[in-house]
Amino acid sequence: MKIQPPKWACRFLEWYCNPQLLEEIQGDVYELYQRRLANKGRSVADRKFVWEVLRFFRWSNIKRSKTTYHPSNNTAMLKNYLKVSWRSLVKNKGYTALNIAGLAVGICCFILISFYVEDELSYDRFHSQADQTYRVKEIFESDGVGERSASVPFPLAEALMTDYPSIVKNVVRFFNFQAPSVAVVNEENDQEFNESRLFFVDSTFFDIFDFKVLRGDIKTALSEPNSILLTESMAHKYFGDEEPLGKFLKLQGQENLKVTAIVEDTPLNAHFQFDFLVSFTTLKSFYDGQYPQSWYWNPCWTYLVLYKHRSPEDLEARFPEFVQKYFHQLIKDDVTLELQPLTDIHLHSDLDYEIQPNGNYANIRVFISIAIFVLLIACINFITLSTARAGKRAKEVGMRKAIGSHRNQLIKQFLIESLLLTVVAVGFALILLKVSLPFFNQLTEKSIAFNLLWNPLFVAGLVLLTFLIGIISGFYPAFVLSSFKAVKVLKSAQIGSNGVNFRKVLVVLQFSISIILIISAGTALKQLQLLRSNDTGFDQEHVLMIPVSRSPIAQHYEAYKNEVVRDASILSVTAVEEIIGAKHQVGNYQFEGNEESKPFPRLFIRHDFAKTFGVELVAGRDYSEDYPTDDTLALLVNEQLVKQQGWPSNEAAVGKKFRWFGDENGRKIVGVVKDFNFVSKHHPIRPLVLDLDLRDQAFDLFIKYMAVRISGQNVKASVARLEKVWKKNMPERPFDYFFLDENLKSLYKSEEKLSKVSVIFSGFAIFVACLGLFGLATFTAEQRKKEISIRKVLGGTVPHIVWLLTSNFSRLILIAFVISCPLAYWILNSWLSGFAYKIRIQPDVFMIAGAVALVVAVTTISYQAIRAAFTNPANVLKNE
Amino acid sequence: MKGNYLGELEELILLTVGALFESAYGVAIMDEIERQTNRRLNISAVHSVLKRLEAKGFVKSEMGGATNERGGRRKRLFKLTSSGKKVLDASMQVRSHLYNQIPNMSFNFSGQ
Repeated sequence: MKIQPPKWACRFLEWYCNPQLLEEIQGDVYELYQRRLANKGRSVADRKFVWEVLRFFRWSNIKRSKTTYHPSNNTAMLKNYLKVSWRSLVKNKGYTALNIAGLAVGICCFILISFYVEDELSYDRFHSQADQTYRVKEIFESDGVGERSASVPFPLAEALMTDYPSIVKNVVRFFNFQAPSVAVVNEENDQEFNESRLFFVDSTFFDIFDFKVLRGDIKTALSEPNSILLTESMAHKYFGDEEPLGKFLKLQGQENLKVTAIVEDTPLNAHFQFDFLVSFTTLKSFYDGQYPQSWYWNPCWTYLVLYKHRSPEDLEARFPEFVQKYFHQLIKDDVTLELQPLTDIHLHSDLDYEIQPNGNYANIRVFISIAIFVLLIACINFITLSTARAGKRAKEVGMRKAIGSHRNQLIKQFLIESLLLTVVAVGFALILLKVSLPFFNQLTEKSIAFNLLWNPLFVAGLVLLTFLIGIISGFYPAFVLSSFKAVKVLKSAQIGSNGVNFRKVLVVLQFSISIILIISAGTALKQLQLLRSNDTGFDQEHVLMIPVSRSPIAQHYEAYKNEVVRDASILSVTAVEEIIGAKHQVGNYQFEGNEESKPFPRLFIRHDFAKTFGVELVAGRDYSEDYPTDDTLALLVNEQLVKQQGWPSNEAAVGKKFRWFGDENGRKIVGVVKDFNFVSKHHPIRPLVLDLDLRDQAFDLFIKYMAVRISGQNVKASVARLEKVWKKNMPERPFDYFFLDENLKSLYKSEEKLSKVSVIFSGFAIFVACLGLFGLATFTAEQRKKEISIRKVLGGTVPHIVWLLTSNFSRLILIAFVISCPLAYWILNSWLSGFAYKIRIQPDVFMIAGAVALVVAVTTISYQAIRAAFTNPANVLKNE
Repeated sequence: MKGNYLGELEELILLTVGALFESAYGVAIMDEIERQTNRRLNISAVHSVLKRLEAKGFVKSEMGGATNERGGRRKRLFKLTSSGKKVLDASMQVRSHLYNQIPNMSFNFSGQ
């Protein structure tokens, strides 16, 4: 037996050495070993051998580099893959177009929705202290009745600053008289408008919020009384091309305000939009030289910045004690204060008295799911089409395998092919995006710029998305294609395409998703219809609302009313605290049988309320001018309040006593009105008090609108009449009005957006799904053309053959329908559970959705089926 | 240029690869150097230098046939490339150029 070198050294060498270098190193050391063994004996040879093995133990021999001795052909192969992919894409133009169209639409939808989501999530984040900024909210409820207010009392801000100086760094208040609009006049240019986006703000405003000041000194702009800041577009509206700085604007026909700065228009992704900011100190002149001191009235939106190291919980923990210390005796046990992060307001806040309507987080979730679904459907198209047509590539795969291609390399090749296709689709998607963005903006009321795409986040996202789509849609086809046995595919002329069942599953999946989307879109539409429908218990048509808050109407109200109703087209006039059907305020009342007063939703009204809004009285009487004491001693309530108080009947409620701020003095309920939706149908009807307020000063705060019912015969003439009499009484005040029914539609904006988006995008989903189906049908028709020809020769009729081809696919659609119904039901049920008023989910939407899917799908297929059925069998069979 | 710099041992081995022509592999190179210059190298040093030379593109290699004395293992045979030849020529030229500039006198001095 040949003498061998020490085994451990051999093993050590084999262990550490790069396999590609092992042979030559081993060879050399063995050769030397044998020589020394012969010349110098075993021990010397062993020793030297070990020494050499140790000397070879160096990094360059250990590291596993593949490139050292096998110069790679990766780049060459990559080039080949790209070339072959390109050729196969170009060769099958039809399928390539289908794939690219589907993917492009899917990707475009996805990007559009990501834009939307990004925009929604970006709200208020542009302020540098956004993370430490909070809004104080006041929850004032007893037994679930009352208000959840986004605004708090006047003195609260100052009290927080003085009581907790180590937590609260800064505070700012917003105030707008709780008025829908105020009159702003440039007397020099004779420009007068009612402005709704005017706020009084503390001088700390710019220490907390970062808005760009274009001209003027930001530090002093809000510190003097009677200062006003304008946005750029307002400056243009009131002053044209003149320089507004230092000029004056008249507010409410009362105060002259000096323009101290011009700021940039509010970014759309701020949860409050303003046109004017007036220094808070200006308010003193409206309230006898000081700020209102009430801890009951809560009209101020109050934002505070906490010190960096303090958490909101630090402050919230002290709120109960704070409430007890300061709030009005009547309400301090019913009030809770909370903080809400500034950045949460847009999507998560749903309070009474928001500055303006907010977004809705649930919608975002729905949008994201739709985007993913559409994209998924497009990816599935690619999978079904490429596996169906795998047979066409079988020869190539066989060839590649025969000349030494590994399976991994083939997988790589097909992945590269799907990546290439995705890249092309992304290109088309970007073109589509550019075209569709304006429409999308219009639909969602946004102004998203195409440039958002170049945001690094989106660039990275897009690259990632491309890879993800390429790999998701390419993985299965690559797996299937690379699994062909070389011998088999090269031997047999035709390879039967496998995975038929898998493709069927995919088609079912696509159509299930599409049908779910259609059902959801239909339900969302129906729900929107329900919310918007007129059965609110009051008549919203032909009602004009005229903002009158803080106008001199008080002195002219009776005269105005009497004069306009003389016109036959003007049926009745009243005045109300808030827009009926949209908003209410809250007041404390103590009814007979209650221990203490409780907050109740309340609306101050004037005579003829029931007549103007068509509200029915179910018991007792309406307020009447025949009873001069109605103002103080009478009260109207709704049925819900009667129920909540546990009074046996509406009639029994009439005559019940009540106290108002502790004062009883013969105050009685005189009538009960039928329930009506005094706020949006997102909420159930709650108890309501309709309180008559005939005081002149009511127009300073409690009465904000005049409401006029017109006949609707000649709207223009009625409006002209109203304006004419207005100008006669108050020539210095701009006349402004809106129609109640139109205004109320905006309550359901978020639902409207949702249903529009879901209708359009479910349309896209089914379009993309049909592209795939079309491809599959084309392929099947082609594959079975011989069979079809033989059938025709043997007497098969055209309808028979069309049926043959369509029935298969139709069955899949039916299966999809069966699967999607329970799923859709479940999803919609949970969506609808968030609404106080909801439609019943009825089979008709399901049937319609199923029918739509089936009709669209069958139409798609039958194009191919009919074409196949009409081909001349001779043309097909002659080649045989 | 750093890439073209040739160390002393590198030059020696490169020359040997050229001289052995078609039968240059690790042990043979080591033997040849010992025979010609009496310099004993460790086989691992020869390998590293060969690897470096190949990376610089002065030699190229391929696996040869199996031999009995190596237990059936193949040899990696090295060949001088044209750029290897060029770098040897250049180095030769520098040397002879410098050598020719040595005045005869110096021999006289050294002879004293």
